[in-house]
Amino acid sequence: MRRTADKLFTCLAVGAALLAALPLVLIVSAIVWRGLPAVDWRFLTGQVMQVGAAGGVFYNLIGTLILVLTALLVSAPLAVGAALTLGVYLKPGGRAQRWFGLLVYTLNGVPSILFGLFGLIVFVKFFGWGKSWLAGGILLGLMILPTVTVALWERIQSLPRRYIEAAAGLGLTPTQIVWSVILPQSVNGLVTGSLLGLARAAGETAPIMFTATIFAGATWPTGIKESPVLSLPYHIFILAQDSFDPAAGAKIWGAALVLLALVFLLSLLALPARLKIHEEAHHG
Amino acid sequence: MDKPSCCSPAPDAAPVVLETKRLSVRAGERLLLREVNLRISARQVFGIIGPSGAGKSTLLKCLNRLTDLAPNLKVTGDVLYQGNSIYTGNVDVDHVRARIGMLFQQPVVFPQSIVQNVLFGARHLRPLSRREKHELAERALGEAALWHEVKDRLNEPALRLSVGQQQRLCLARALAVDPEIILMDEPTSALDPKSTDAIEELIHRLKELRTIVLVTHNIAQARRVTDWLACVCVRDGGGIVAETACCDTMLTSPQCREVAEYLEHAAP
Repeated sequence: MRRTADKLFTCLAVGAALLAALPLVLIVSAIVWRGLPAVDWRFLTGQVMQVGAAGGVFYNLIGTLILVLTALLVSAPLAVGAALTLGVYLKPGGRAQRWFGLLVYTLNGVPSILFGLFGLIVFVKFFGWGKSWLAGGILLGLMILPTVTVALWERIQSLPRRYIEAAAGLGLTPTQIVWSVILPQSVNGLVTGSLLGLARAAGETAPIMFTATIFAGATWPTGIKESPVLSLPYHIFILAQDSFDPAAGAKIWGAALVLLALVFLLSLLALPARLKIHEEAHHG
Repeated sequence: MDKPSCCSPAPDAAPVVLETKRLSVRAGERLLLREVNLRISARQVFGIIGPSGAGKSTLLKCLNRLTDLAPNLKVTGDVLYQGNSIYTGNVDVDHVRARIGMLFQQPVVFPQSIVQNVLFGARHLRPLSRREKHELAERALGEAALWHEVKDRLNEPALRLSVGQQQRLCLARALAVDPEIILMDEPTSALDPKSTDAIEELIHRLKELRTIVLVTHNIAQARRVTDWLACVCVRDGGGIVAETACCDTMLTSPQCREVAEYLEHAAP
């Protein structure tokens, strides 16, 4: 009887896992199935033509890469500062650390559309930038900041104390300990967190739709003010919503596949660093 | 490894380099060490023995303020290094730690090359030229009796060394900073007998120039290498220094009942 109950429970658990994986498999296979015919070299290197019904997504890809790279440059230094504050400078378990930690987790829960509205008010209107790649990059950077911070913070927390004691015992100042012990040994967390964060940022539409990206007519940005870029998620969003041209259909799937490939690539790059963390965790 | 007979050099002949005055340590409400008064003379091996958990390691960490890194520890009283308090507000703690080095129970090797490990502390104290780096690495590794074993593979990962070699590498790293005092926290308890011999031999050589404070729970080792001994025992729930005496005196005729009991049980 108990045997049967055990088996039943195992079946239920595996069934739930399969059910959870099913949508992912369906989405990925649908995108690959329908997107692959649309994607060729000319699609990757061509410009948008006929309101998206023809041409390629070259500048959309470039725009998304520019946004993602800016987000990286914005989030990395802020995350290093925040993670060091949480993991090194604030007293562990103290009130300040608890509050600041809560703040970081709360920032993680802020809906992305609110980042978009914040950017609209601050960068587009108040700074008078209009739509600008820099505004989008900064917003995406802020959006992924919690992911990067927490990944780095956890890594710093798991550093063996004996390293810090040994360095302090040699007469290193706290700043020297940060630069020669804590950061070199936790840089994995920064890399992993950044890549996972960027994989998410690359697909976001809400933070950039009012602030950084337009549907057509932009190439390389030339300045900051009134300097929007094209982007893949916004391209998909507009085509899916507004296009009645059946020819645009294939192009949507193609753009989706390119975006998916980019996100997959970023996640894949994070893999070696993540595996290394697991390995170290097992070897104490 | 001939050790001169008892109390040589005489405790009053050599200047006192390290002194604790009514040093107490609390962890929250709990008293770990109570009113420790020690005088440690220059160029001696000062041993600290006593049962496990009595606070020997804590006492050692107070001597170069590594206790600062444990935020729950509260230290009262004072430690004087060359007559000056290391616990007053304006003391440069990092400078103190550079002068009073530390060797831990387990070798703490950074995941870098051998030579990078040797220079880990020294290169932060002052800028070193390429040649100075090489000379310093050779001197420190030589002083730690490791040079001949590693001179051909200085750029290999230090983690490939045996544990005994790693411990000598840690000693070389501490020596590269040129400390006046070296605190050792059971430095051989993780090592095999051969590496233990090497470290003990080194301690004998090092005390020609430096002062060593050695925590050990190995009475035979205390007999072999220390000049003076302090025995930390637990009394009323807190650690106290029950007795301080020259090595031979304490080990042959302890005055204090707790020390006698400890030696009786710990004797090999």
